[in-house]
Amino acid sequence: MSRRLTAIALGLLLALAMGLLSWVWARPATVVRVLMPAPFADATADLVATFNRAHRDVRIAVTRGPFETDAVSDLAISSLLLGDSPYDLLLMDVTWTAKYAAAGWLEPLDPWLGPEALEPLVTGARAGNRIDGRLYRLPLVADMGLLYWRTDLMAAPPRTPDELVAIARALQQQGKVRWGYVWQGRQYEGLSCVFVELISGFGGQWGPGEAGVGLASPAAARAAGWLQQLVNEGISPRAVANFAEPEALQSFEAGEAAFMRNWPYAWQELQRPGSAVAGRVGITTMVAEPGAAPAATQGSWGFSLLSGSPHPETAVTVLRALTGEASQRRLVSRYGYTPTLQHLFDDPELVAERPQLPQLRQALDQAVLRPLNPGYAQLSDILQRQLSALISGRGEAATAMARAGRESDLLLRASGQEVGR
Amino acid sequence: MSSLLLMAPALLLLLAVFVWPLLDYAWLSLQAQSVFTGLETVPVGAANWQRLLADGRFWQDAGQTLRFALVSVALELVAGLAIALLLHQRWRGRGTVRSLALLPWALPTTVMALGWRWIFNDPHGPLNGVVQSLGLATVPFLASPDLAWVATVVADVWKTTPFVALLLLAGLQMIPADLYEAFALEGGTPWQGLRRITLPLLRPYIFIAALFRLAQALGVFDLIAVLTGGGPASSTESLAVYAYLNAMRFLDFGYSATVMLGMFLLLLLGAAALLLWRRQAEVGA
Amino acid sequence: MRGGTRTALVALLLLWSLGPMLWQLYTSLRTPEALLAGAGGLAGGWTLANYGAVLGGDPPFWRYLLNSTVVGALSTLLTLALAIPCAYALSRRRGLLRLLVGGGLLAAAVFPYVLLFLALLQVARQLGLANSLLALCLPYAGLQLPLAVLLLQAAFAELPPELEESAVLEGFSLWQRLRWILLPLMGPAVVSTGLLVFLFSWNEFPIALTWISRSELLTLAPAMARIAGSSVYTVPYGAFAAATVLGSVPLLALLLLFQRQIVAGLTQGAIKG
Repeated sequence: MSRRLTAIALGLLLALAMGLLSWVWARPATVVRVLMPAPFADATADLVATFNRAHRDVRIAVTRGPFETDAVSDLAISSLLLGDSPYDLLLMDVTWTAKYAAAGWLEPLDPWLGPEALEPLVTGARAGNRIDGRLYRLPLVADMGLLYWRTDLMAAPPRTPDELVAIARALQQQGKVRWGYVWQGRQYEGLSCVFVELISGFGGQWGPGEAGVGLASPAAARAAGWLQQLVNEGISPRAVANFAEPEALQSFEAGEAAFMRNWPYAWQELQRPGSAVAGRVGITTMVAEPGAAPAATQGSWGFSLLSGSPHPETAVTVLRALTGEASQRRLVSRYGYTPTLQHLFDDPELVAERPQLPQLRQALDQAVLRPLNPGYAQLSDILQRQLSALISGRGEAATAMARAGRESDLLLRASGQEVGR
Repeated sequence: MSSLLLMAPALLLLLAVFVWPLLDYAWLSLQAQSVFTGLETVPVGAANWQRLLADGRFWQDAGQTLRFALVSVALELVAGLAIALLLHQRWRGRGTVRSLALLPWALPTTVMALGWRWIFNDPHGPLNGVVQSLGLATVPFLASPDLAWVATVVADVWKTTPFVALLLLAGLQMIPADLYEAFALEGGTPWQGLRRITLPLLRPYIFIAALFRLAQALGVFDLIAVLTGGGPASSTESLAVYAYLNAMRFLDFGYSATVMLGMFLLLLLGAAALLLWRRQAEVGA
Repeated sequence: MRGGTRTALVALLLLWSLGPMLWQLYTSLRTPEALLAGAGGLAGGWTLANYGAVLGGDPPFWRYLLNSTVVGALSTLLTLALAIPCAYALSRRRGLLRLLVGGGLLAAAVFPYVLLFLALLQVARQLGLANSLLALCLPYAGLQLPLAVLLLQAAFAELPPELEESAVLEGFSLWQRLRWILLPLMGPAVVSTGLLVFLFSWNEFPIALTWISRSELLTLAPAMARIAGSSVYTVPYGAFAAATVLGSVPLLALLLLFQRQIVAGLTQGAIKG
C-alpha cells in the first residue's frame, strides 16, 4: 500500500518537475505583430525567419497587408479607430506619419532610440520622421524622384527646364525619339510627387505656412505652366495625362522618349534583356531654374510603434533589427531597394552590385518632402485635381494654382488650423 | 394610450437610428473634429460649409452620383419592364425562372462586385478573353475613367433589375385581362395595348420602383467601394464613398458629417422635384 | 408572342442573370495556370484547391458565413419583436398620429441608410459597441423597422375587425388576442417580412465595415471586401471566385426554398406602399 503511495507521489513529483522544466524551456515567446504592405512582407520574409530562429523569447508575426498602400492604411485605421489594434508595428509611407501622430496612435521612439537615432541615416532620409520634435518613425528604405536620360543621345543631361525642352525638341525634330519627356500625369499621388520637386526647382515650396499652401505663388504657376506647356508643345504625349509609373517606364524602355521622371526601381527594369535602352541610361536630379536648387521628391517606408502595443520595448527591439544594417544590406542587394543608412552608399561590395548607388545618394541629398500635415491626403487631392485639368488642356496655370491655394486654405481653416499670412 | 405603449420601443429605436444621426451631423458640421484637432472637437462656425461649397471633389462626385443613378435606374426600368412582361405571360417553368432571375438581387453586393472585378479584369478576365479572341488589344475596363463608369452601371443594372421587374410584375397582375381583350376586339395591336393600357395603369408602380431605386442608387456605396474603390482618379466616386473616405481615410469627421448632410439636402431637393413631377404628370393624365 | 421568340428571350434572361455566377463557378474550379492561359484547353486544369484555400484560410471562410447567419437571425428576431406590436397598434389607430408615423416610416424605408454610418460609428466608439455581433443587431433592427412595420401593419389591416371584436367580448386580453387570434393568421406576412430583414442583415456592408475590425468577427460582406482589397495586382482569382460561390450558396438555397414568400413580401410593399 505505502509503496504504491510512494510510487504515485514520486510520479506526481516527476510530472510536476517535467511540467516546470518544459514551462521554463518553452516559455511562450512575446509575439510582436507587424503589418506591412504585401511587397515588403515578401521581401522581408527571410529576414523575419532568421530573426525568429535566433530569438527564443521573441517572435515576429508579419501580417501581409494589401498591395495598395491606401488599403493597408485603411486596414490599420479601422482597428485603431475602434481602439482595438492588433498590431505593434506598422510599416508606413512617409506621408502617413503626420496623420497617425496627430491622431495619437503613435508612440514616440526617442525614449528607446535616443536623440541620435537618425544620425547614421543619409541626410535625405532623415526628414519626415519627426513631428513636433518627436521621433515617430524609423525609415527602412528610401525612394526619390529621378530624371532618367539617354546617354546615347546627349553628352550631358539638361540642368534647367529650358535646356530639357530644347534638347527634347531637337531630338524629336531629328526623328531620334518620338517624345521628349515622359512622366506621371495621371490624377493620383504620383502627380503630386512630380509637382513637389518641380515647384522647388522653380524656386517655390509646397507646404502649409505659406500663403495658399505655397500654391498661390508665381513659382507654382510657372511650374504648373511648364507641365502644361510640355503637353501643349508635344514634348510630352497627350496620353501623359493618364500615365502612372508603369506607362512612363514602358514608353521610355521602348526607346520612345529622351527623358523620363521615375523612381529608382526603374533602373533595374531598364537594364533587362528586353529593354531597348539597356546600358544607355543615366540618372540625375530633376531640372531646376538657374539659381534654384534641383530637388527630388522623397518617398520612403519606415516602421512606427503603435501606442496600443502591450510590449513596446520588445517591439522596438524588432524595429531595430528590421531597420538594421544586415536587413538593409539584404534588401539592397537582393531586391534593389535604396538603403537609408549612410555608410551603405559607400560600401564597395554593394556599389559593385548596384553601381547607381552614388547617384541615388546625390539625389537623396536634394530630397524635398511633401507637406508634413495631418491633412496631406486632402491637400494632395486638391492639387492633383487642378494639375490634372491643366494637363488635359483645360484652364490656365496661374488661375488654377490660385484656386488650389484657396481650396487648401479653406480646408485648413475648416480644420481649425492657422493659415499662413 | 396602450397603443402608444406598444409603439414606443420601435419608435425609440427608429429615433435613435434615423433622427439622432441627422441631428448629430447638424452639430458636427459646425465643428472641427479631425486628425488636425487630435480628434477633439473645436467649434469652427460655417468653415466646413464654406469648404463644401468650394470643394471641387464634392460637386464632381455629386454630378457623378446623379448621372450614375439616373442612367442605371432608367436602364433598370426599361429592362425591368421587359422582364416583367415576359414573366407575366403564362408558360411552363415560369416559377423557376422567376426565382433564378431574382438571384442577383438577393446576393450581397460585395460578393458580386468582386465577381465583376474579375469579369472586367485586364487582361485575364472573360470579357477581355472575348476581345482577344477577336484579335483586338485588351481593354482596360477598370483603369479608364469612362469605361470604369460603364462597368459600375452594368454591375448595378445586373443586380437591381430583378427587383424592379418584380415590382412591375405585381403591377401587371393588378391590370384586369378583359381590358386587353376589349382592346383587341377593337382592332388594337399588342404594341398599342402596351402604350395605351399597360403603361398608364402601371404608372404608380413605375413611380414607386423609380423612387425606391433612385434613393438607393444615389446612396450607392458597396458596389463602388469594392468594384473600383471610386477610381480611377475618383471618376467613379459617389458622394457616399467620399463621405466614407473623409471619415475613415482622412479622419475628418466634421467634414464627413458636412458631406453627408450636404448629400441629404441634395436628396431632399431631388425628392421634392420628383413629387412635383408626379403631381404634374397626374394633372396631365 | 410566338413560342420560339419567347424561349430565346427566356434563355437570354437566364444567361444575363446567371452568366456572371456561372463564370464564377467555372473560375473557382480552375487552376491559376489554366485561368492565365486563356481559352484553350478545357481538358486539364481543373481543381478544388481554391475551395481548400478559402476554407483553410485564417479565419476559415465558414466563420464569415456563421457570423452572418448569427447576425441575420438575431436581427430578424429583434426586428419582428419590435415591429409586430408597433404594426398592430398602428393598424388600430386613426387620425393624425397614424398619418405622421406612417409617412415617417415610408420616408425612412426609402432613405439611403449609408448616410447614417458615421453617426452610428461614433455611437459604437462611445458606447463600446464595436466588435460585437450582438451589438450589430441593434442598428440592423433599427434600419429594417420601417419596412417591417409597414408590411406588417398592412397585413393587420386586412384582418376582419369583427374577429378581434368578438375576442374582446369573450374577455381576451390584448396579449391573448395578439398571440392566439391575430398572429396565427399573420403567418405568411411575418415570414416574408422576416425573410426580407434576414436578407438585409446578411448582405449589409457599410455598418459592418465600420463596427467590426477583428477579422474573426467579420460578416460576409465586409469579409469579401477585405479579401478584394488585399490583392489588387495579383491574380488569385480562383480563390476569389471560390469565395463568391461559397458566399452565394446559402442565399441560393434560401431563395429556392422561400421564393414565394420573398416575392410576396416585396410586392406587398409595392402594392400597399
